[in-house]
Amino acid sequence: MKLRSHLLLLSIATAAPVVALAVVIAVVVVKQERASLRDAAAERVVAVMSAIDAELRGSVATLRALAASRQLESGNLKAFHAEAMRVLATHPDWLSFSLARGDGMRIADARNPPGRDLGPVSDRESFDLAVRTGELIIGRVTLGPEGVNMGVPLRMPVHEIDGTVKYVVTVVLKPEAFNDVLRAQRLPEGWVVNLVDRRYNTIARQPPVPAGQPASESFRAALERSPQGWFRGLTLEGQDVYTPYFTSSQSGWALGIAMPVRAVDAAAWRSLWLLLVMLVVASSIAVGLALLIGWRIARPIHVLAQAAGAAGRGEPVQLPRRMPISELDALAAALGQAAQAMREKQALAEREKAALQAADRAKDEFLAMLSHELRNPLAALTAAAHVLKLADPNDPAAIKARAVVERQTKHMARLVGDLLDISRVAMGKVGLERERFDLGRVVLGVLQTWRASGRLERHQLVPQIASVWVDADRARIDQILSNLLDNAVKFTAAGRRIEVTVRPEGENAVLSVADEGQGLARDATERVFDLFVQGERGLDRSAGGLGVGLALVKRLTEMHGGRVAASSPGPGKGTTFTVTLPAVLGPQQPSAPQAEVTRGAARHILIIEDNDDTRQMLHETLAFSGHDVREARDGASGLALAAEAQPDVALIDIGLPDVDGYEVARRLRAAPGGRRVGLIAITGYGQPEDQRRAYEAGFDAHLTKPVAPERLKQVMAGLR
Amino acid sequence: MSKRVLVVDDDADMRLTLKLALELAGYAVDVAANGREAIEVQRRQPAQVLITDIFMPESDGFEAIDAFRRQFPQTKIVVVSGGAQFSKRDYLPDAELIGADATLQKPFEVDALLGLLRTL
Repeated sequence: MKLRSHLLLLSIATAAPVVALAVVIAVVVVKQERASLRDAAAERVVAVMSAIDAELRGSVATLRALAASRQLESGNLKAFHAEAMRVLATHPDWLSFSLARGDGMRIADARNPPGRDLGPVSDRESFDLAVRTGELIIGRVTLGPEGVNMGVPLRMPVHEIDGTVKYVVTVVLKPEAFNDVLRAQRLPEGWVVNLVDRRYNTIARQPPVPAGQPASESFRAALERSPQGWFRGLTLEGQDVYTPYFTSSQSGWALGIAMPVRAVDAAAWRSLWLLLVMLVVASSIAVGLALLIGWRIARPIHVLAQAAGAAGRGEPVQLPRRMPISELDALAAALGQAAQAMREKQALAEREKAALQAADRAKDEFLAMLSHELRNPLAALTAAAHVLKLADPNDPAAIKARAVVERQTKHMARLVGDLLDISRVAMGKVGLERERFDLGRVVLGVLQTWRASGRLERHQLVPQIASVWVDADRARIDQILSNLLDNAVKFTAAGRRIEVTVRPEGENAVLSVADEGQGLARDATERVFDLFVQGERGLDRSAGGLGVGLALVKRLTEMHGGRVAASSPGPGKGTTFTVTLPAVLGPQQPSAPQAEVTRGAARHILIIEDNDDTRQMLHETLAFSGHDVREARDGASGLALAAEAQPDVALIDIGLPDVDGYEVARRLRAAPGGRRVGLIAITGYGQPEDQRRAYEAGFDAHLTKPVAPERLKQVMAGLR
Repeated sequence: MSKRVLVVDDDADMRLTLKLALELAGYAVDVAANGREAIEVQRRQPAQVLITDIFMPESDGFEAIDAFRRQFPQTKIVVVSGGAQFSKRDYLPDAELIGADATLQKPFEVDALLGLLRTL
């Protein structure tokens, strides 16, 4: 069943008792209407009866006076007749009078003076009663002795001394006299008032009927039952009436006032109808309101039901902004949240699915790349082995082949190391050995190592290194930078720039590697750090590498509490990787007094080195420390520059193309002012024998390639 | 006159070792780091056999094969590549499809390559 039907039922259930009560009230109202009408009629009946009794009493009093006449006592009947005639003339309501003997013979009346017998009295019954009782008797309506007019006789016996009845004086009343009383009541149209005698014959009636006519059957039946009260019955005219009636104790007459049932009920029905109309109107309004409210409740529920269905199907849910019912508002809000949660869950599931697929694809690509990356060095090693097998060990081909073996095994070792590292980092098995150091110096050291290996020879390296101190694991920083450089070299065409920058930035130290390589698509800047993922890899670019390096960079950086980001203006426009690490206060901060010492120790330095990478690295490291640096590529130009520039310190490579480093040192010492200059030997050989030779040649210190910036700094500090 | 071979690989060590091995076997060997370089070298000094890798930066092996098939139809082409076994796409058959005469998967025995060169 629909909600609206329920609400309709509810309203009907609420209205039903009201309707029932209204009906009960209506019935009571109708009854009361009737009762009040009856009561009024009953009072009226009594009042009219009193008027009739009064009328009678007047005639009775006159009759008593007449019967007590002295003329009658004295037997002067003529005089009595005359007296009676005078009285009759003054009583228009009297029809006539008569005088009769005790035996019932009339001896005088209004027409006949006394003198002869006129005949027996009519209504013998009342006459006999009067004779027997000796009291005044009111007779029944009857036809007079003339047989012309109907009248009501009042009989008064006149007694002899001995108590016997001598005469009976009778006065006959006109029924019209009572009709006048009834007419004066001015009863409404259709009403009937009926005055009857003891025998239930009509004395007077409105509307009139001939006097003496018996009352209606129902009136008679009611009078038989009780001298006064109520009944419902038909009038002589056959009209349905309510009749209150009353019997006078004085006369024994009864009076009934008949009210048409129609008239009585009409008033009640009018009230009832009014009530019913109001009831119907009120009920209609109630049901209408119930339907309206039901609609207002049902419609949002319907909307919510549809929304819930849509939410279930994962379609967008449209909810009305305001519900007319606060509970529904809460429901709508809950539904909205549920739908939102559902959509998010679905979206999450889809993202997870996509991520899984992407991871699967990345894994496939990784395996393919792993195959490629391991097979390439193996191919080179196989070919090298072939050469070594065939060539004489001292043959240049064999020497080159051995170098290849060395490089490729290192390369493979690094690949395998990266793979192991990433899995160890992923499993949280890598701990950091933190120490405070200058990030700029460590970066320079890494760059120097890279230069020395020749892996940057096809590119233009541009270092911009400032001093920023960090609290980090030196080896991991090396690893981070190496992987970024690896990436840059791999994706940047020969001859293009690779810029390595270290700078402070607010609270942080920033290390960035910017290349002029193939760049990244916008959506790839996040993905590149995912394990096994490389940028879009097509046939036109052999990316190489395992896609492990950047993932390693990211995790190592995050272990340091830092973050890494990739940015690219777009494909073909280069990529910049930025590693941001929390900076710490270093000892050479302006607030530290040591900084002054460092600045004060700035020196003129001469570098004599034929290897471009080493020379450049030394130059950058020393210039970074604030020294004034000049350089030469061979012994001759070095000596010339020393004579001109008078350096405080000279760094001299032992294996120079023209004269060896020992010779250069000896000549510098021999030159004017040569005893003051600090001499540092740079060799590829770190044997004690080599060191001894260097000191003999006049060097103050000896450094083995590759030169670590920290070591160089120590040695420099150790010189005068 | 010895046969001239052009080795194309982006890996310098691969180039070097193949060159050394082939020279030991009596071939004259030129090298190039990518497809475009290979075409330039071939124009200056035509070789009878091209031995090329597939994945190389800037200009890959397919480009080289395609160009050689058009411009130097007499040159035999041997393709060597490492990225095949686990890849969803197997590139060596692709290379044969566009005109390679033979393929070798890295790593390979140099003797196998030499045998192949003799048959071409």
